[in-house]
Amino acid sequence: MGTERKYSFMRRGFYRMRLNCCSYGKFFSSSPPLTPIALPSPKETHLWYVIPSEVKGESLLNKYMEILSPSEKENVLSVGGDELRKSALLARTLVRTTIARYQINSSISPRSLKFRKSIHGKPEVDWQQGDHCEPPPLHFNISHTSSLVACGVTVNSPIGVDVEAKQRTVKHNVLTLARRYFSEHELEALTAIKDPQLQHQEFMKLWTLKEAYVKALGRGFSGAPFKTFTIRFGSAIGASEISVDLLDDPSDLTCNWQFMLLELAGSHYAAICTEKDVTNEGNTKGPVKLTVWKTIPFVEDKCVSGTETVRILCGSR
Amino acid sequence: MAARIALLKYLRVEARPAQLRNPRLIGGSFSQLFKRQFSEEVRGSFLDKDEVRDRVINCVKNFQKVDPAKVVPNAHFQNDLGLDSLDTVEIVMALEEEFGFEIPDNEADKINSINLAVDFIASHPQAK
Repeated sequence: MGTERKYSFMRRGFYRMRLNCCSYGKFFSSSPPLTPIALPSPKETHLWYVIPSEVKGESLLNKYMEILSPSEKENVLSVGGDELRKSALLARTLVRTTIARYQINSSISPRSLKFRKSIHGKPEVDWQQGDHCEPPPLHFNISHTSSLVACGVTVNSPIGVDVEAKQRTVKHNVLTLARRYFSEHELEALTAIKDPQLQHQEFMKLWTLKEAYVKALGRGFSGAPFKTFTIRFGSAIGASEISVDLLDDPSDLTCNWQFMLLELAGSHYAAICTEKDVTNEGNTKGPVKLTVWKTIPFVEDKCVSGTETVRILCGSR
Repeated sequence: MAARIALLKYLRVEARPAQLRNPRLIGGSFSQLFKRQFSEEVRGSFLDKDEVRDRVINCVKNFQKVDPAKVVPNAHFQNDLGLDSLDTVEIVMALEEEFGFEIPDNEADKINSINLAVDFIASHPQAK
């Protein structure tokens, strides 16, 4: 029996990891497998998230390293600082384990998944063609902060996810940031809020929504500069709706996109942007069903939608 | 200004049908003249790269979220300094304030390391 390389994740005093050679432990076979989940329907969105500070233990982190591709491992190891490196590792782990749960076919495991970038640089799954396998129309998008990593999954619709800590500080005054990066309407809306804490919160909400939209479009920050579109809260349909319109044609309310804004665990805003499902005889106004899981891959999954942990602030219910 | 006058002079003199039938000839001479005049004219307003690097590094070090010890010339904003998209936008703003010119959004996307910021700023004549 040959020896396998075990990537030692945490080494006191080192930023660069040394590769250790040692034989495989038995821990891999004794851990619970990933809970299989049915693919979301076209009107559904799934959101999985992990809290890095709750993921402990070198052996668990090493296990996560094992499911990454060689280039992902290299990228993770090149990140400086233990906390940042952990967040980078958890992001890749979350994507791989999440997609593998959907049991597209039995040959897919977290480690076997391959990824590529779209023509505009957005990460997507590179489905390997099996004999009787049609690539499923699964879309995903991840967002990570040092305190929370999230992965959204849809079927048939591009998705953009952004998470930010509610309390995160910004160096500049939020109105200065808004003046430089937001649309006029958004700046006006922010300026109208007099309480600085509320104003800060509204800024963060707008930021996550705008990021989620840009990520759903998949063309990068420069492909859809923040100043070129406006996020509006409320519409003729109802106050809980969020919409986006493009500045060069304000009459063209870009109806294709729908948003959800959540508060997770009382500490983070999460914005999700997806394309509306138009298959139902042109009826695009149906509510989107959102299911949220909090996970520690290979350890535990908890469905938290409908609980205090997930507060839907705005958008389809 | 001198470049503009020289250009106009050149264009006025050379507007002869024979010349016009060979646009490549005009194009070649035009660009040579342009390069010579333009670069002499403007060389003075490009900042020295080392000076730009020092100022960029100082600017980033002042960013509260950043560990000053990690701010080295080849530091990558996301991977080495742990900055996310909102932080990067703030750094771009801080650099705009430091160098007195606006960095277009479609360029800002590509500035995600100290070296890239330095290269960009040092090649921009509007940087002060």
